[in-house]
Amino acid sequence: MEFLHFVRRALVAQFNGPPPRDEFVRHALDAGVGSLPLLTLLTIFAGMNLSVQAYGTFVRFGGQDLLGLFCGVGGIRELYPVMAAVICGARIGATLAASLANMQISEQVEALEVMAVDPMRLLVAPRLWAVTLMLPLLCGYADVVGLAASYWAATEQMGVNGGTFMEQVRDIVHLGDLAAGVFKGVVFGWLVAIVSCYHGYRALKRDGAEGVGVATNRAIVHSAVLCIVLNMFLSALLYVR
Amino acid sequence: MAEQQPAITLEKVCKSFGPNRVLHEVSLTLPAGKIMVMLGPSGTGKSVLLRCLVGLMKPDSGRIFIEGQDITGLDERRSAGREQMFALRRKFGMLFQDGALFDDMCVGDNVAFPLRQHAKLSEREIAARVAEDLERVGLKNAQRKMPAELSGGMRKRVAFARAIALRPKIVLCDEPSSGLDPVMSATLDELILDLHRTLGMTFVVISHDTAEARKIADYVGLLYKGELQAFGLKDEVLRSNQRAINQFFERSTEGPIQVL
Ligand SMILES: Nc1ncnc2c1ncn2[C@@H]1O[C@H](COP(=O)(O)OP(=O)(O)OP(=O)(O)O)[C@@H](O)[C@H]1O
Ligand SMILES: [Mg+2]
Repeated sequence: MEFLHFVRRALVAQFNGPPPRDEFVRHALDAGVGSLPLLTLLTIFAGMNLSVQAYGTFVRFGGQDLLGLFCGVGGIRELYPVMAAVICGARIGATLAASLANMQISEQVEALEVMAVDPMRLLVAPRLWAVTLMLPLLCGYADVVGLAASYWAATEQMGVNGGTFMEQVRDIVHLGDLAAGVFKGVVFGWLVAIVSCYHGYRALKRDGAEGVGVATNRAIVHSAVLCIVLNMFLSALLYVR
Repeated sequence: MAEQQPAITLEKVCKSFGPNRVLHEVSLTLPAGKIMVMLGPSGTGKSVLLRCLVGLMKPDSGRIFIEGQDITGLDERRSAGREQMFALRRKFGMLFQDGALFDDMCVGDNVAFPLRQHAKLSEREIAARVAEDLERVGLKNAQRKMPAELSGGMRKRVAFARAIALRPKIVLCDEPSSGLDPVMSATLDELILDLHRTLGMTFVVISHDTAEARKIADYVGLLYKGELQAFGLKDEVLRSNQRAINQFFERSTEGPIQVL
């Protein structure tokens, strides 16, 4: 109930004119560029692992040539968007929640209120925009890196023919799949941002530093759980006909 | 000219947190352009009173008028009520007890913040105003520092500069002098008097310091256990010989104010 009220206020603030530029740029850079090292590292390993596992399974019935199919579908449709959402989401969500909670407990949010500045407009709206726009880009980036890693593992380590691999990827992965990944990214991005902002914003002065910890913790857990659960429904919606 | 509305009027303001009764039927009237010093021991609801004045907290009952306008009836869940509240708050500058500086901005940007939000000034005029105000509080060399690098007293002075940046009609100061050395504290008192004389600002100053009250106050109030024990013109209150007032001004342990 309280959450829905927050969402309503946040939406009003978000679509009420462009967000304050400086705040938006700062959070977009932090969410986007700041997530690249971690995401790159993890998607490389996830991509290679996908190849290794698929190879180990498929080779038993001589299907090692289907590797590209599996890496394409499993990776681009499911694994990478969710990875980007959960990994970057945890990172970004923790930052958002901690920064807002800290502003709450040190009365900075109230100071804004007293200065007749709407904290929703100044603090929450730019964060929502930044993450909603950055997460789909991160999903796209994870697709590319992850697929490259799968390709490398398949061709260099398992001796699968590179041409066959790519052909299968092209065969199974359509532009629509990439678009779906980006769409998921938008949904996850907004979700991570709103959940994290909510928990950060809800921190009270009397909770002190502990309140910041609690808010951060909840932001990470709730956004990860929501993204993974929602991913299933989104996939059902997008791919099951 | 019609008689000026009082800056602040409280009518039987009550506020509790659960069983904790913090304000009980506080009533007072502060004429425009006056300085009120609110004294009181720690934990008696002075900060809560200030929060009620700017609408950060809603009293459970009673009414609050700012320049004649009732703020207790405003419904902030509605955008019209919220806009009215924001319009009212632009009359105020507030110094929070812990400063409440924005810790991702340097000192200069903190002071410039209200100007950038509300004043129709060029960056150049803003910079001039910021430099002027920081100089007034003795911090002209700290402009590029971040709040985390400041001492408690410095933070307070920056917060004071930020509170007066827009030259608001009413300035609320939550313990401006605590944490300052005597010289700095006297400088701040002079600054308050100066702003009051030159710009006619109304001040509500919360303090533990009776010397400060003697020096700057037009009106003095004493809050204890959520009740306004005394309130009125400084001389009258000091002459009234009330025991709580005497105890406070004589720094005595004997009297109605008990340390629990
Ligand atoms: N948000 C809140 N929720 C619950 N209780 C609160 C809240 N804010 C203040 N109180 C209670 O109200 C009482 C008065 O607090 P307040 O901060 O107004 O004291 P104060 O007079 O400003 O004291 P000090 O001089 O130490 O600053 C305290 O008992 C405090 O516990
Ligand atoms: Mg206080």
